[in-house]
Amino acid sequence: MPREIAQLVLNGLMAGTILAVPAIGFTAIYAVLRFPNFAIASHLTIGAFAGWLANVSLGLPAALAVGVAFAAAGVAGVVSDELILKPLRPAGALTTAIAAVALTLVLENVIRFVFGNDLRGYALPIRRDWQVAGLRIAPQQVQNFGMAIVAMTAVFLFLAFTRTGKAMRAVADNPTLASVKGIDTDRVARLTTFVAMGLAGVGGMLVGLDTSIDPLTGFRVILSVFAAAVVGGLGSIPGAVVGALTIGIGEELSLLVLAPAYRTVVGFAAILLVLTLRPRGILGERAY
Amino acid sequence: MAQRLSRRAFLELGAVSLAVAGVPAVARGQGGVIRLGTLTPLTGNGGNYGPSMLKAMQWVAGEINAAGGVRGRKIQLVSEDDQTNPEAGVRAARKLIDLDKVAAIMGTWASAVTTAVAPLCWESRTFLTTVSGSDTITLLPHQGYLVRTQPNTQLQGKKFAEFMAAQGSRRVAILAVQAPFALPTQKVVGEELKKHGSELVAAVVYDKDKTTYRSEIDQVLKDKPDMIYLNGYTADVTVVLKDLYKAGYTGAKIAQAYAVNQKLLSALPPEVTEGTWTIAPSPSIESSAYKRLAQALGSDDLSLVALAIAHAKGEATGTGIRDHVRKISQGGGARVDSAAEGLKLLAQGKEINFDGASGPCDFNEIGDILDTKFRYEQAEKGRFKLLKIG
Repeated sequence: MPREIAQLVLNGLMAGTILAVPAIGFTAIYAVLRFPNFAIASHLTIGAFAGWLANVSLGLPAALAVGVAFAAAGVAGVVSDELILKPLRPAGALTTAIAAVALTLVLENVIRFVFGNDLRGYALPIRRDWQVAGLRIAPQQVQNFGMAIVAMTAVFLFLAFTRTGKAMRAVADNPTLASVKGIDTDRVARLTTFVAMGLAGVGGMLVGLDTSIDPLTGFRVILSVFAAAVVGGLGSIPGAVVGALTIGIGEELSLLVLAPAYRTVVGFAAILLVLTLRPRGILGERAY
Repeated sequence: MAQRLSRRAFLELGAVSLAVAGVPAVARGQGGVIRLGTLTPLTGNGGNYGPSMLKAMQWVAGEINAAGGVRGRKIQLVSEDDQTNPEAGVRAARKLIDLDKVAAIMGTWASAVTTAVAPLCWESRTFLTTVSGSDTITLLPHQGYLVRTQPNTQLQGKKFAEFMAAQGSRRVAILAVQAPFALPTQKVVGEELKKHGSELVAAVVYDKDKTTYRSEIDQVLKDKPDMIYLNGYTADVTVVLKDLYKAGYTGAKIAQAYAVNQKLLSALPPEVTEGTWTIAPSPSIESSAYKRLAQALGSDDLSLVALAIAHAKGEATGTGIRDHVRKISQGGGARVDSAAEGLKLLAQGKEINFDGASGPCDFNEIGDILDTKFRYEQAEKGRFKLLKIG
């Protein structure tokens, strides 16, 4: 039994780390632009397909293809935000959030139009799991874990030490004051969207590396991403990481008491619990 | 006398000329095209299946039209997307029934969609053909306006259990996707295995939208199965097969042929799929219908409907199809495996018995396939090898 629990925690840790990448993107957009951008679902898919093209058509290794996934999803995010969501932002967060849902459906169908509904797999060798101290772990999982950690570290360093990163935090904290201080809030908004959607794209590709991709790749994980962001504290980047690990490990541990068919319940239950007991989330929304 | 046309006269004239124009339109309606609806999942979770089903039906329609149509009338397909979603399915069905006035709706795939659409069909006397597996569908009070062109869960489960036991598997596990057929299949497989001295040692139903099934697989492997039945769809079975390989499982695997298909074999490394058995309903011999449409779900639906309309002397209505579908699909007529061939014989006044790509297509009174042969194949180095038909 302890070995079984350890295995579940390990599986959850791996799943949670990958989940954390798009969750950071989601929460970052919320922090700066103050609306839940559900269009992140289709940007996960865009990233997954861009990475797939780079990996399968251009023959890039996964670690480089992930950069293509970041750039493609980031650019798509900025373009769709400028054209669709930005003009709607003055109408309020709810309007923009609804438009984001519509946008994600449109983008999903654009991908379907171009690539079709078929499943696609990355050109990766598949290896048997390693057995470590009675626990099993896949080499691909370790690599994905590594890539997720690198992406997250880069984001933290960027926010903590660069001028632009500091500007982003300033806008998130108080947009009016930041604007008065001479920070170009429009530019910060664009940059945030680029980085956040880029992270979503990386997350999409990391999900796809272990499984396969199709136009619904992003839609399948959006609930968990949203739950992670809410549980950790919407708007808090460390919170998104904590939330993602909570959801990832929680979903796995739920298998001890629940049938696997009900695993999705964990995400919903976590959202309900947090909103009822601690609406600010585990870390509170103003933690960077 | 130059008199200007009064508004009243203009309206009267207009109405009369419209009415005159309308007469041939009605007459054309009887002799013109036959409109039939397709309702397949082009998007959503069934999106891997719907487009190829539609393509198969378009292909059959092209064949029929090229051969002169049904008693001289061309078939026009009106295609809608049910989005693998009952609500969208109902909206699309309403459009097909009320606006397009189709005689039949063909190809509903998800059991939930079929269950939602079926009442609209029997109430409007529109014929419905489906490939959904859930046993409850044919038990609906559909008054004959529904047939299922795939064997139901009971029949499939029985065949799977018999085959697994015949392979010498004593400890069978099932990994099934959360779907209406998951538990009924589990039940029938468990009962049938027992009759052959084997045992169902583990059964896990998983959520189709997960990105990894490592923990589910651990649960199943704990009971040391020597055969795992993967009862899911292509998207999730792809992930499960990968995770089984990574977990070091080397025992036997079996799946529905619609889940483990050639596309899946091409998308995964051969060592992951090696040795996986598949079972699919099949015609008794290597029929030309099967060769043409290898496994394209839905192709028989249109053939049956077109032949039934022809047998009903061109009466393109749901009731006409209902009353004649069994007269062309079973009985002592000449055996045919393509709609074009069947139409030719019907035109000569002969009786026919249609056998399609999915098998004999003989229906019982509630619209279920009576019995069918099954085709057993095994994945070998990324390709399927035919084992037997029986």
